[in-house]
Parts: sequence; C-alpha cells; structure tokens
Amino acid sequence: MTEKFAKISPFMVDPEPIEKAFQLQDGDFERATSDEKESVVEKHKSISYWRDAGRRFRANTVSMVALFIFILILLFAFLGPALIPYDYAQQYRTAQKLAPGEFSKEEQLVQNVGKHCDGFFATTLQAGSLTAIRKGDYYISADGKTYAFNVSKAIEKAILVYIKDSETPLSVVKMKDVNEDGTWNDSTPIETTDTPAEGATQIKLVKSVFPHVFGTDSAGRDLMARTMFGARVSIIIGIAAALIVLVIGSIYGSISGLAGGTTDFIMMRVVELIYSIPEVLIVLLLQVVLKDPLQAWFDANKTGFVGALGDLGSGIVSIFITFALLYWVTMARIVRGQVLQLKKQEYVTAAVALGASKWRIIRRHLLPNAVGALVITTCLQIPSAIFLESFLSFLGLGVSAPMASLGSLCSDALESITLYPYRLIFPAVILTLIVLTLNLIGDGLRDALDPRLKK
Amino acid sequence: MVSYIVKRILGALGTLLIIMAITFVLMNAIPGSPFLTEKSTPQMIELANKKYGLDQPLLVQFKNYVLNYLRGDLGVSLKMQEGTEVSKIIFGQGKFELSLKLGLLALALAVLIGIPLGCIAAYKRGSWLDGFLRVVTTVGVAIPTFVLATLMLVFFAVQLGWLPVKSNTLPDFKSYIMPVISLSAYYTCYVAKLTRTSMLDAINQDYIRTARAKGVKTSKLVLKHALRNSLIPVVTYLGPVTAGIITGSFVVESTFQIPGLGRYFVQSVLNRDYTVIMATTVILSALVIIMNLVVDLVYRLVDPRITLTTKGD
Amino acid sequence: MAENKKLIEVKDLKVSFYTPAGEVKAVDGISYSLGYNEVMGVVGESGSGKSVEAYSIIGLLQSPGKVIGGSITFEGEDLLAYTPEQMRQFRGNKVSMIFQNPMTCLNPVYTIGNQLMEALLCHDKSISKEEAYNRAVEMLKKVGINNAENRMKQYPHEHSGGMRQRAMIAMALICKPKLLIADEPTTALDVTIQAQILELMKELQREENTSIIFITHNLGVVAEICDWVSVMYAGKIVEQGRVNDIFYHPQHPYTKGLLASMPRLDADSHERLIPIEGTPIDLLNPPKGCNFAPRCSECRKICLREKPPFTDMGDGHISACWLHLQNKETQKDAGEEKPEA
Repeated sequence: MTEKFAKISPFMVDPEPIEKAFQLQDGDFERATSDEKESVVEKHKSISYWRDAGRRFRANTVSMVALFIFILILLFAFLGPALIPYDYAQQYRTAQKLAPGEFSKEEQLVQNVGKHCDGFFATTLQAGSLTAIRKGDYYISADGKTYAFNVSKAIEKAILVYIKDSETPLSVVKMKDVNEDGTWNDSTPIETTDTPAEGATQIKLVKSVFPHVFGTDSAGRDLMARTMFGARVSIIIGIAAALIVLVIGSIYGSISGLAGGTTDFIMMRVVELIYSIPEVLIVLLLQVVLKDPLQAWFDANKTGFVGALGDLGSGIVSIFITFALLYWVTMARIVRGQVLQLKKQEYVTAAVALGASKWRIIRRHLLPNAVGALVITTCLQIPSAIFLESFLSFLGLGVSAPMASLGSLCSDALESITLYPYRLIFPAVILTLIVLTLNLIGDGLRDALDPRLKK
Repeated sequence: MVSYIVKRILGALGTLLIIMAITFVLMNAIPGSPFLTEKSTPQMIELANKKYGLDQPLLVQFKNYVLNYLRGDLGVSLKMQEGTEVSKIIFGQGKFELSLKLGLLALALAVLIGIPLGCIAAYKRGSWLDGFLRVVTTVGVAIPTFVLATLMLVFFAVQLGWLPVKSNTLPDFKSYIMPVISLSAYYTCYVAKLTRTSMLDAINQDYIRTARAKGVKTSKLVLKHALRNSLIPVVTYLGPVTAGIITGSFVVESTFQIPGLGRYFVQSVLNRDYTVIMATTVILSALVIIMNLVVDLVYRLVDPRITLTTKGD
Repeated sequence: MAENKKLIEVKDLKVSFYTPAGEVKAVDGISYSLGYNEVMGVVGESGSGKSVEAYSIIGLLQSPGKVIGGSITFEGEDLLAYTPEQMRQFRGNKVSMIFQNPMTCLNPVYTIGNQLMEALLCHDKSISKEEAYNRAVEMLKKVGINNAENRMKQYPHEHSGGMRQRAMIAMALICKPKLLIADEPTTALDVTIQAQILELMKELQREENTSIIFITHNLGVVAEICDWVSVMYAGKIVEQGRVNDIFYHPQHPYTKGLLASMPRLDADSHERLIPIEGTPIDLLNPPKGCNFAPRCSECRKICLREKPPFTDMGDGHISACWLHLQNKETQKDAGEEKPEA
C-alpha cells in the first residue's frame, strides 16, 4: 500500500508556532475539574412544546391577521347586537326595502324632529303593533334627572319629545302634526314627577335614528341585525358540530385503537363504508326526514334540555344529528392513528426498564403531538361544518324561519337579487371571511404545532 | 388482476345496495305521503298507494325496487310528473345530459388548470407569483359554491349584463361560463393547493437529492421526478372532487335555473317523490362510486409500487 | 502507478447555517487534500459536520446553509466560483455522491434502467439510447447485480436494500467520475451486506482509479477501505493521518475514545463498554476553548480557554490538542507509544 502514496505529506496544514499566537500561563496544564468543564457548556433553555408552538404561531403574520379578523367578526356577531337598537326578527313595516344607510320616509321625518329637541322616543318606528306605548307607568332618565309619568291612554303614531330646559320637558307630538323639516305645530305636554312608580318601565330616549347600516329587507327587518344574528348562528353551529365530531370521533377512534384485533378491524371497515357513501345525498334526505319528528318532539317537551334544543329549531338539531352520524370518520381515523402510536411507544419503552421515565416520554413527546393533531383537525372542521350548514340553509333545508343563518340570508336575498344586490353581498362576504379566517388559523396552527410538515 | 377488478366491482355494487337501503329507509321515515294534497281524501290516498304498490310490506317494496333497477326499470314518478317513467325523465328530458356536461367540464377545468397552477407555484416557491396564487387559492376554497354562484350572478349578469341571468339549457357558450366556473372554482383551487404541497413534498425527498447529485437539470427534476410522484395524492382526491361537483350542481343548477339532475333531485326531496328520489340517489351515487373505482385503478397505474394484485389499501 | 497529484484541495472551509435561532457553525475551518486514486475516510458523530462539508463540494448545500469561507479546488478549478449550470454538469460527471438510505434514494415510479440511463444522458446528449442502455447493463453487471437485463426493467421497490445500494453505486460511477463521495453508504444495511458493498467499492475503486471520500461514524469500515482518515468533531478536524497511524498511534483524546469504545471480539464478556461521556456540544454557542474539552477525560485548564493548534506528527499525521505541546519532546517517539486499550 505504501507505494501508492507520495512521500510528500498530502495534507497541507502548517502547525502554527505557539509562542506567536497564544499566551501559555502557569498551571495551564493542570487538569481541569468537572465543575470547570460544566461551566463552559451552555445549557439549553428547554422550551416547553406549547410555548414553542405559541411562539411559532405568533410569528406567522397571515395567521395572526386572520385571527384578528376572526375576533372582529366574533365581536360583530356577539357584541354587535348590543350596540344597535334593531332586532333580527322585528319587522318595521314603515322601513321596508331600504338601501344601506337609507332612511324611510317616517324615519327621515323623525330624524328631522331630533334636530329640534334634546331627545325623543318615536312610536312610529316600532314594529307592527298599533299601540307602541301601552297604558302604564313609565319613566325617563335624562340629563341627570328622572321624569316619571303615567300613560292612561295608549300613545300611538306619535313621538315623545324631550326638551331639556322647557317648562314641561316631556310632550307628545302627533305624527300628523310634524312638518317635513321636523318642526311641529302642536304638542301635548305630559305631567311628570320625580319618582317613578313601582314597576315602572324605563323608556330610552335617543338623539337620532340609528341608520340601517346594511339596509332592510322586504319585511322591514334590519339587515345588519340579521347578519349579526346569522353570523352568530353559523358560528355556533360550526363550533358545536366540530365538538360533536371531536367527541364521537375520539371515542370511536380510541376504542378501535386500544382494542385492536378483530374489534378494530370491524370498526375500521365500518369507517370505510361510511367514507364511501356520498354523504351529501344522505344528508339532504336526513334533513327532510328528521324535520317533522323532531318538531313533534319539541312541541311535546318545551322545558329543560329538549326545550333548549327546540328553541334552536329542528333544522339546526338535525344538522347536528347528521354530523354525529356521518362526519366523525376522519377524526376517528386520526385519533386511532395517535392511539396506535402511543401503544407502540408503550411496548418500546416497556422493553427498556425505564420506570417513571416511560410516562414522561409519553407525556412529553406523544401527547402533545396527539393533542396537536386533534386541535388542528377540530379547528379545520369548524369551517367545513359552517360550509355544510350554509349549503343546507341555502337550499332551504337548514335553519327554519324565524331563525336566520348566513346561508339562509343568502338564499332570501336571491329572489330580489336584481333589485337589491346588497342583500346578498353582506352575508356572503361575512360567510366567506369566517370560513377563510378559520382556514388560515387552522393552517397556522398546523404549521406551529407540527413544524416538520413545513419545509 | 382481473380478480381484483371483479372484487372491486362487487364491492361497489354492494355499497350501492346499501345506499339504496338507507335511502329506502329514510324515504319511508318521512311522514306524509306523496299523494297528500289539500284535496285528497283517505280513499284517494289508499287507491293511489295501491296503484303504485306502496301498500305492500316494506321488505317487499324494497325487493321490488332492487329487482326493477337491475332490469333498468326506475319506476314512475309519483308526484312531480305523475305517471311518467323516471328513466325517461332523467335521461329523456336531457336532465342527466345537462348535468353531465356541466360536471365533466368542471372536472376538466379543475384538473387542467389546478395541476399546472400548483406546479408553477411550487416551482416558483417564494416568488410573488407563488404568493399571489396562494392567496387566490386560499380564498377560493373559502368561498362556498353558492356564494360564488350568486355573487357572479349579481355582478356579471345583473350589474354588468355581460352574461345571461338564466342559463337554462345552456344554449350558447356564454351561458356555460358562470355555472362551470362557480362549480369548479373550489376544486380547481383545492387541486392547485394539493399539487403545490405534494410537489414541495416530493422535492424534499431523498430521490430528488440523488437525481440532483447525478447532475439532472432542475426543470427535469421538477417535471419528470417530482411531478409524477406528486400526482398520486391528486389522483386520489379526484374521487371526492366528483362527489363535490355533484353536490355543487344542486346549488349551481338552482341558482342559474338549469334544469339538470341536481336541481331535480332537490325538488324531488322537497316534494317527497319517492321514486325520483330513489332513482336520482342511485344514479348520483353510482357516478361517485364509479369515479372512485376509476381513480383507484388509475392510481395503481401511476404508482408502480402497488400492483393490481395487491389486496387491501 | 503512484499518483501524487492533488485531485481535490479543501482549504479552511467554513459552512454555517443561518437558522431563526442563530448561526450554526456546522463546519468551522477544515482543510485536507486528496490525491488521485486515494481513499479518505471522514469520521465523526452526527452533527460533526462531516456530511455538510461533502455537500459543499458537490454543490448540494441548501439554504439556510452557506459556505462562508475557505476554498475548494478540484483539478485546479475553484468549485465555489462555479455557476449553477457549471455545477450541474460537474455533478454526477466529475464528482459523484451516494447516500445513506438506499430505500428512499431511488425514485419509486421509474425503473432502475431509466434512472441509470438518465445519469448518462443528462451529461452527454450525443449518446444514443441504445448505447446508453448497453452501458447501463454493463454497469449493473459490474456492481454485481446478476440478471442485469431484467433488472433494468424493474422498479426500485422490487430490489433489496443491498441491491439498491449497488444500483446507486452503478449510477454514481457510470460517468466515470474522478471522485466519489460516499455518505454513510453502508450504515443502513445489514452487516453481511455491508461487507459485500465495501468489497464492491474497494474493487471498483481499484479498477476505475476513482478517489473516494468515505464518510462514516463506523471506524471498522474505515479500517477496511481507507488510506487516509480525517477525524471530525463539532465542525473541526481534530486529527488527520494515514489509516495505520490513526488506528495504531492515535493522538487525539477523541480519536482514542472512539477507538476505545468499539466493542471488541476478543474482549472479556465482563468488560464494560467504554463510551465517551457527555453529549455533543451546541453548535449555536460553541465553547471558547477546545470543542471537545467538556467531554475530554484529559481536559486541562488551557483546553477550556484557548482552541488548540495543530501539531504535526510527521508523514501527514496531525492532531489538534494541547497535550501534544505539553509533551513536545515525546512527539518524535509517537511510533513507540503503545496503543491504549
């Protein structure tokens, strides 16, 4: 072998003369103690899995923006109704088919009245019933004072006007006495006292008519209120359905994975069978089938849990049932996969006598992974549940009136789409945003919890 | 190989039978009769039931259904077009044809546009084009089909007047545009995303590194080595795509007033026309099942690791 | 037949990975050169940087890794200055690489023949399909795959691990490269197959006069096939020399530890295995002194303070340890030192 090689050293590193580069000190060649050795090594800050994932998620701009927008939508849907005076079901007959921001004739009139006083309460803006303020005791709080009064004859088609510094601050102005510019020709003052009677109802004065930001539909219902409500319904259905899927899928998958053997085999064949059925066809049938029996059930039991379900309506409950029957299969598969992994780990670590550490390994490595997969899947189930629900509602098979969801709002809007396109745009955009942001958040979670997946 | 195909076909028929059974059970669970109108009396209903064999015990009815179907007899419409043969309604009145046209076009669009887009995005990863495509596809899978369909209707037909509001029987090219696009949009975007992900996945594989070490050109790495491997999950997805397109047809046909099979199915459900419900369910399910079968066979062709004699997935 | 010209020269190569957590100095200044027809083993633990430096030679380094210093010269050409297209033509042609896991290194959807011929055709367009086919068959036979014609039509999953590795070797050598880089090619194989593959590589090396850089953590393999050895730890070369010198007269405590930790057939069954204590260091924050110091049983105070220089033991044998400077006089007697158990 030696002949093959040159006598020249093939490696070309020149040893540096040490005197030049380094200062040798006394005692340098004494043995170093183990403490000294340890101090040189920087210990890793062990970051917990979750905090690390959280950091990664926060760094993901797209997901953070999506999360932000989703929170905005949540606020819109859940807090919004407290901010606007309109209700999703109340019909204002005088304010039908308004464009966004538009006022009806009545509303414009009342709005003008507002310019000439310090507050008002308009009976004409209330819904259908002819008597807006019935007989009884009422009181108003304004500018730090309380004005209590009694109504002996119902006040209708009139406005309660409040002028701060007048002798009789509260007076009734009949609509027919109101001029176009908001001034009025005649008014009847109301006698007020300082203390409200027992059980008196409070009337809230307003300074101006709250605009119908999204407009109104043919029945005079405020579209913004309906959109808020619809958003609420859609989101709740989505989350509830996802949770149902999570629970059922986890239980089924865990049992299948833990049992193993024939049980597992059979259970998985069932899963495959359900998987191969085109679900939507069955879903449609289920919706129709379940509607009437459910309704009968609700009519019979108006209290307790069943009563609460009944309030939701048969459409929504049947959606839940559909999910419970058909949509848990993906989750079951994932859970089973995780359980199988856990089992494998058990055997492996059982073979090595580790004692307590076995649980630590499982807890520290496997469970976070498993929980992570579950969180991601559940999060991504929500938009697909919302998708399905809005699809069904659009076809008329989902929520039933007077309940509204974003899907049914879109469906309602279709009839008059040529005349009032805005009726479609608002719920459609919000629906899309909900699904979009949830998808992005789910993607972000997936990247954060399982960085191996990302490059 | 032949035995495998035979096994799969038998399995498919079995699934179809189960679907028929489920549908049958559900239909009979719907309270009310198709003959219940304001004017009907109990005697009329009874007569009608007898006429159509609805007074027989359920098992007998089911047996009759299955046997008839095997013979190609899909029964007679009970309500919507009373007395007309269902097979004539579906096939003779052009409903099936319309839906098939739309569906195939949508499928073709999803594949022929989705896959190349995904490849481009993967190839140009990190560029503005990739970013743009990702945004578009992410939004695309978030828009429910009916939203897209109705929005397109509002915008292009109502506001701009470029395209017809009612597409009807698809007389001209223009009437195809909105239905096909809204039907295929979700799937095109999903296929693009899927292709992109699996391409990027493939590019990370060891065999790409080997090919690179051999000195293979980058374009060939992508088109030859990565692409074929990454098509595998896309092909698998085509089954659900078919199912989805069928679902989407319910909405699209309703929105654009196209008298296709999807819309008819929804109407039959709302009208409780048993025979039509059953027939449509079977046909639509059969389409999905056939597609899944085809996909399975194609999949095994694309991936030589799985031979056609291998059992079990 | 003695070739004493330098084939490849690596000078002070530095490669770092710029991760979100910081700069990881995967390779922190290594140098070596290899002549024609020579085999060098690069030994080290995972994370020592042995694979990374090989990837930089063949241009397969991917972000966030970057060569940040030093030079690689191949037959007089500066590899780091190559354009991507030049590098592509260079790869597989002048320098080839084979990898660790033959199960995943071949494309599962194309036949062995297709992938083998591709190795030829992507470099030389003038070859006809027929000629490429013939050369491919010939190559398969050379690497010991019987029934070569049939195997050409088969897919990777129809071959065993050992056969796949042979096919990989065939792919690597079909263009007759001057240098073959083998990144742990036998690690994933059964022991008996390992021996076969090693034999094959030795044989081919002799026949084709190919130089090999053999990366491994297995000293036994090194002894089999290598003429020279570079021992790496934490991105630096700690010892370098002829294979006999390294095995019989190891100088660096790490090398000694590696040799000592190898289980021996003739050892008493009661004897405990002697591992090297501790775990590899964090390359994000390497220590000030010698990288190996915290784990070294001979660690001195200066080892924790300053990085040791190389000491030349003669005939190409160098080692970077402060201890040598302590025993400067005894270095010339390196040949008389008994191997430590």
